[in-house]
Amino acid sequence: MNSPAPDAFLDSRLAAVRAELDAVRAPAQLEGALAAHFRRSQNRPPRLWWMPPLALAATLAIVSWMIRTPLPPMPQAAQVAALAGGNPSQDPGPFLALKPLERIALEPSTTVVETEFPRALLAEWGLPVAPDRAGEPVRAEMLYSPDGEALAVRLIH
Amino acid sequence: MALYRRHKDAVYRFALLYCGSAAGASDVTQDTFMHFITRPEQFDATRGRIGAWLCGVARMIARKQLGEREQPTDPALLADDTAPLPGQVDHESPLDHVLRTEAAEQVRREVARLAPHYRDVLILCELSGLSYAEAAQVCGIDIGTVRSRLSRARSALAQRLARYHGVAKEAV
Repeated sequence: MNSPAPDAFLDSRLAAVRAELDAVRAPAQLEGALAAHFRRSQNRPPRLWWMPPLALAATLAIVSWMIRTPLPPMPQAAQVAALAGGNPSQDPGPFLALKPLERIALEPSTTVVETEFPRALLAEWGLPVAPDRAGEPVRAEMLYSPDGEALAVRLIH
Repeated sequence: MALYRRHKDAVYRFALLYCGSAAGASDVTQDTFMHFITRPEQFDATRGRIGAWLCGVARMIARKQLGEREQPTDPALLADDTAPLPGQVDHESPLDHVLRTEAAEQVRREVARLAPHYRDVLILCELSGLSYAEAAQVCGIDIGTVRSRLSRARSALAQRLARYHGVAKEAV
């Protein structure tokens, strides 16, 4: 008896495997195992679950530290106050320099004048002004040079 | 679950051919569907059937489980015969018997002994019913390469089976 042609022989063998495979079914318990596995994976905390609490704790620690640590006195304000001849211990608030400190220091004499001006003027000095309160007057002490040039300002609350 | 019930048998059969054991095939099937459940966005319906995509996932998982290294894609290396490289040899026990009839089981064993790049296309195209295009997509190769690998795989398998067939005839 002659052996079958290679292709036909192989095809018949492969067809036999396919026929056998057609009868193969996935085990019934696999569906239950898959469902249980899926439930477990759903209940498992995410891999980086510790990141949000850690970030929150770090934020709280930083904010707490910032609140507890007193801000260092503003050297500019202290110098301006000194230049203005005020007593730091009785100083109601810092002066805000409107001119460079070196320039203020060169002034032979200065004058502090209590005044009132529109709040909008603060914006010109780079201070924040709420638009809805821009028209309100502000009380302040101005430090003037002998020429009448505004050197520094201190808001009075 | 409807999708699982529709495709579980095909994926399991594919995994069975890859792993050579029912336990391994169950693990691969479960992991394949878990992969789909957890990363459904990876399947692009415009690029092919979900059945073929699941076979691709199962192949990837089975290869990982078998610790098989990626097959060479250099044509010069593939110009060699279909013998598997060291480390790519199927280590299944002779007692593993996943198909009922001896003839079918013999073919399965010989398929398992082919080099992975030939075994892949043979399992996908001849035994899992994927088209050449789908097999090309699963293996990440072009259709021409699928055709040539399939031709060499069939040739190698035919030779191996003929050898056994001859031995059996002589024994009779």
